[in-house]
Amino acid sequence: MRTGTNPAKTGIPAYTPQELGVALIVYIPFTTGYFQNSLEILKYQIESLRATTPQKFDLLVFDNSSCPQAVAELQALQARKWVDWLILSQHNMGKAGAWNWILAAMPNPLICYADSDVLFRPGWLAASLEVLGAFPRAGMVSAQPNFFDVMKGEGQAHRALLGDPAFELQDYWPAREIIDEYCLGIGASDEVAAPFYTQPLPSLQNKDQKAQAVLGASHMQFIIPRAVARQVTPLPATKGLLRAETMSLDYKIDSLGYLHLSTTRPYVFHMGNTVNARLIQELSAITGETHASEVHPEQPARRRSWLLKLLARLAGSPRFQPHMLRAYNLLFHALYDENRVK
Amino acid sequence: MRVGQNPAKSIESVPQPQKVTIAVVSYIPFLSGYYAQALDVLKACLESLWAHTAEPHDLLVFDNASCPEVRTYLQEAHQQGRIQYLVLSQHNVGKGGAWNFIFQAAPGAFIAYADSDILFRLGWLESSLAILQAFPQAGMVTGRPMRTPEKFYNQTLDWARQAGDVQVENGSFIPWEVYREHVLSLGTGEEQARQWYDSRSDWRLTRQGVSAMIGAAHFQFTARKAALAQFLPFKMDRPMGQVRSLDEQMNAAGYLRLATLEPLVKHMGNQLEPGVGPQTTSARRPARLLDLPFIKKALLRLYDTIFRLYHSP
Repeated sequence: MRTGTNPAKTGIPAYTPQELGVALIVYIPFTTGYFQNSLEILKYQIESLRATTPQKFDLLVFDNSSCPQAVAELQALQARKWVDWLILSQHNMGKAGAWNWILAAMPNPLICYADSDVLFRPGWLAASLEVLGAFPRAGMVSAQPNFFDVMKGEGQAHRALLGDPAFELQDYWPAREIIDEYCLGIGASDEVAAPFYTQPLPSLQNKDQKAQAVLGASHMQFIIPRAVARQVTPLPATKGLLRAETMSLDYKIDSLGYLHLSTTRPYVFHMGNTVNARLIQELSAITGETHASEVHPEQPARRRSWLLKLLARLAGSPRFQPHMLRAYNLLFHALYDENRVK
Repeated sequence: MRVGQNPAKSIESVPQPQKVTIAVVSYIPFLSGYYAQALDVLKACLESLWAHTAEPHDLLVFDNASCPEVRTYLQEAHQQGRIQYLVLSQHNVGKGGAWNFIFQAAPGAFIAYADSDILFRLGWLESSLAILQAFPQAGMVTGRPMRTPEKFYNQTLDWARQAGDVQVENGSFIPWEVYREHVLSLGTGEEQARQWYDSRSDWRLTRQGVSAMIGAAHFQFTARKAALAQFLPFKMDRPMGQVRSLDEQMNAAGYLRLATLEPLVKHMGNQLEPGVGPQTTSARRPARLLDLPFIKKALLRLYDTIFRLYHSP
């Protein structure tokens, strides 16, 4: 039975969320292979976010069933008061499944989403807000020029502005170093990278405000007003990371008449899953802290056993490669299988 | 930069949410004073839930900035696979704030909500869902009968009187012991409880062979997510005391506020009664060969080796 009065009923105020809420999805099923640097990169991301965001914000981390080491690290970050809301999911809900939580429930009027491998640079928020403010019905704004149009030119929302003399559709030629960096971030092969240097990006200009934005936004990082976010869920979520499912966000936003836009300069950088000296140098410049001790020194090449040498030779063989990759994926599924790795 | 392909892209399917999400909000800032037994009460709540819920469901616990002991317990339960979604808030966003989050994020088409001091009895969820199915206009169904103020259910009564296929009965249907159990759990004295019991009556509705009592409460209820969505967001600037607006708004909107005939949930409050306490049942997954540390370690090493063969400079 109840004895006494619940102190929570005595009129003390509840926490009021900040104007800006940032949400990250973390999926680190183990700390080897593809994911060996993922925890370190996540910490770099949060450090850069804290260093470059000029206003208070709430940070939500959705953990999509990571390994115990990753969860412990997230809990430690929350204990340091770096994470306001930590969601631990027993299952991997997929990226779209996690978006369904984030976009439907974040209480902040402005929501920023980022994958857990994004470096934030000074000015990212101001540049994003400038685009959001300059273009009516801007629904989703990324802080990096969008090079890959997931809608393949089928987007319709921007057409509503084309009859308005205040707006103009233009070609935008990003500087070579911007393209270089984008290609580096996604690990693009020469074949994939080549068209980015020879084709302009479609952009929209607000002539009155002299503001320009690239048409299209990236799933890697974007801001979205809460009012828009609430209209796009639920998204289909049946796969771990299927473009068709994450693309449904774009189609919903477009069908509601909201624009996908991005800044003309890169205020975020896709760190991916590797740490190198260039990244550490930039991170140190952003945070004002030395990260030199965390740079992985060049390891002398380990002497390979005869078995490893044989495997390395086989791995390079076109006949053997599909089998090796199948074994790699089988191992991933066996080890990961719904937290079995725990 | 990205090296190799993200293995997440090879995940063919992810588990789909259950039809029902059970949501519990916990707020235990310390383990003394009013909250001295609160962790044991929470354990009793969750143990009874795990023991007495046969209907497939996902369990979501929203912890509103509780003390480390509570968080440790919840995290262990999550690691054991007994809590599917654990939301750890660094701040107390209030019950309304937690509701705003839960009712928008919970993936189930039905949401069964409970405060963290509720004891569940066998059949509570099945009975609540049966009422929701038999009464499509039902907004919220509580797992025990109560006598609540008429202003929170007058629309339910008006609807029942006008509906042609609903049997409406008025009388004293709640046994004294059932009524007493709940009212005393709220801290009311025996004499006052008896006086209230003698001066009030109950309304019972029957449709399609399913009976329900009129009256629901926000400490525990089952509802359709779509119905709850109409009343969001709730005001959330105080930790408690603002959630009554759900009762008022549901009634005003014409949704039925109903309860089961039997007392299938019980409000424990902040004190455990003798015989009610944390069980030590375990629902851990069965171990597999892969769980053996040396096998797992070897496979992880093989996995890492293949990755490096292709992606090391």
